[in-house]
Amino acid sequence: MKLLKRQRQENLGKSKAGLSNGVTGGSSILKPMVTSAFLLLLLSSLGCFNEKPVPPEVSLVQVQEADLWRAEAPLYLPDQYADYKEHLTLAQKNLLKTNAQFRWFRDYKAVQAEFLQLLNQGEELSKKLRVEKEEKAKSIFDQMESLKERLRIFTQLTLMLHEGGPSRSSLTKAGVALNEAVILLKENRLLASEQKLAEVEMAIMETEEAMLFVLGRYQNSHLISKWKEWAQETIEKSKERDIYSILIIKSEKKLILFKKGKAVNAYPIGLGKKGWLKKRYAKDHATPEGKYRIIGKNPRSRFYKALLINYPNEHDRREFQDAQEKGRLLKKAGIGGLIEIHGGGKGNLTEGCIALDNGPMEEIYNVVGTGTPVTIVGALDEQNSISSALQEMQRTHGQKKTP
Amino acid sequence: MRTMRLLVLGFAILTFLVACGKKPTQEIESTQGALNAVASEGLGKYAPEDEKKLKDALALAMEEIKIQDNKTFKSYDKAKQMLAEVKKSTEEMKAALPAKKEQAKQNALGAQGSAKEAFNEAKSLLAKAPAGKGTAADIQALKGDVKGLEDSLAEVQALIEKEEYGEAVTKANALKEKASGVTNQVNEALKKAKAGKPGKK
Repeated sequence: MKLLKRQRQENLGKSKAGLSNGVTGGSSILKPMVTSAFLLLLLSSLGCFNEKPVPPEVSLVQVQEADLWRAEAPLYLPDQYADYKEHLTLAQKNLLKTNAQFRWFRDYKAVQAEFLQLLNQGEELSKKLRVEKEEKAKSIFDQMESLKERLRIFTQLTLMLHEGGPSRSSLTKAGVALNEAVILLKENRLLASEQKLAEVEMAIMETEEAMLFVLGRYQNSHLISKWKEWAQETIEKSKERDIYSILIIKSEKKLILFKKGKAVNAYPIGLGKKGWLKKRYAKDHATPEGKYRIIGKNPRSRFYKALLINYPNEHDRREFQDAQEKGRLLKKAGIGGLIEIHGGGKGNLTEGCIALDNGPMEEIYNVVGTGTPVTIVGALDEQNSISSALQEMQRTHGQKKTP
Repeated sequence: MRTMRLLVLGFAILTFLVACGKKPTQEIESTQGALNAVASEGLGKYAPEDEKKLKDALALAMEEIKIQDNKTFKSYDKAKQMLAEVKKSTEEMKAALPAKKEQAKQNALGAQGSAKEAFNEAKSLLAKAPAGKGTAADIQALKGDVKGLEDSLAEVQALIEKEEYGEAVTKANALKEKASGVTNQVNEALKKAKAGKPGKK
């Protein structure tokens, strides 16, 4: 019985020991795992508390890049800005790489250095941009002033020439574009302002071309010599025949009355809408140029009193026929006629006639008769009002050649 | 048996990691699509800075994706988050765009209205001006000016129709100023005409 009891106790002891051993064996595996997990948790928490911050240069560069973009660096300094952007992309890539690393291994030193370098590069770029924009603004301002001056001269010229048609309209549109350029400059939108100035320049050039084509005659020394000869012949005729003669100078808008070769009086006149041109065909509103004579007197003209001249004369007819034969004029075009020196006021726009105020008209009407020579010329001097205006226009444009 | 268990566990972890590392192609396409759509609706015209911010943010998200592409254990979680933020901002901007457009349109129409008023003033004043003695040439020239103003006014309308509201405002304001100048010149011509009349000097 005692033996059985001992055996039972031994068995119980064994089983206890076995259980105890089992427990001790499991603990030997779990213990390091629990410890490791605990350590990991601890380190991780420590890591959380000691997380390395992203360098402040990163956000500074972000602000800087936005400022550069807003200041239109990509437009003014495209190459330098592209270089800056390339460096920025690289730096951002490295920042992302660093951020992607396990928290404990993150080291922002290299990234910080890169962003610091970028800040310096951006600062340089910003300085260059400021200089570039200042120079551009100055250049735009100068160009603007020059164009304003050219527009002013043109506007005066068109007023002088009674140009109310396409030229004046183009100049107004150019004026609107110039105002736009001014507004854009004030808004610091320099490139847009510069683009507008190019539009203004183009419109002025087109008007200039058209006007030079028409008015270049007033700078043509050969033509002016011919006009001088006509004028001289008219004065000589007045002297030789002891008669009155009339000389009309378009560029000066003046009628000079001669008696016995001497100027008796000079009167301001008005011309037609296209009075500066030489009359070529009917209803062209141009005033003829040449040597004429009075062929009729009308005391009851609707323009007070009128003196009819013999336009077209033989020379005019030959020129007209030649122009038609060479296709410069339509076959159905007429040569026109009924060109008068009349009253009604020098401020009137005629259809090719020469208008005077009624007082001077009365004076002239009373002393001249049929057969009185009337010579109409463009100018008598190369320095006439139109050539001077053209010269001023050319001076502001940089010496454009006349046709 | 133990090795087998470890293999199964390893395989499960690997599957989990690979599943986590799937490239967010759908998110990329959807974000890019949203950004392209809002850009084509004119975001760059009405809110250029906003458009730039979105493009930059998208580029950054794409960089993040590239970085993950080159990794063995890829995690696109951050990239997905970045893409989601870009898309959210894009949608917000898309929602705000019609109001911005409408505001720009109203500004342009307002400027056009003022310019038209100034033009009509110059035109009606010129129509009343007597093209008589002393003023005929001036009036003739001013008619050319009014024609130029009319052409410019038509250009403002054309800009509005093309939804170039900013340019329309600038042109309308420039035109208004020029029209005021023409009105002043017409008034000068009228004064000249009055002074020329007998007994009114």
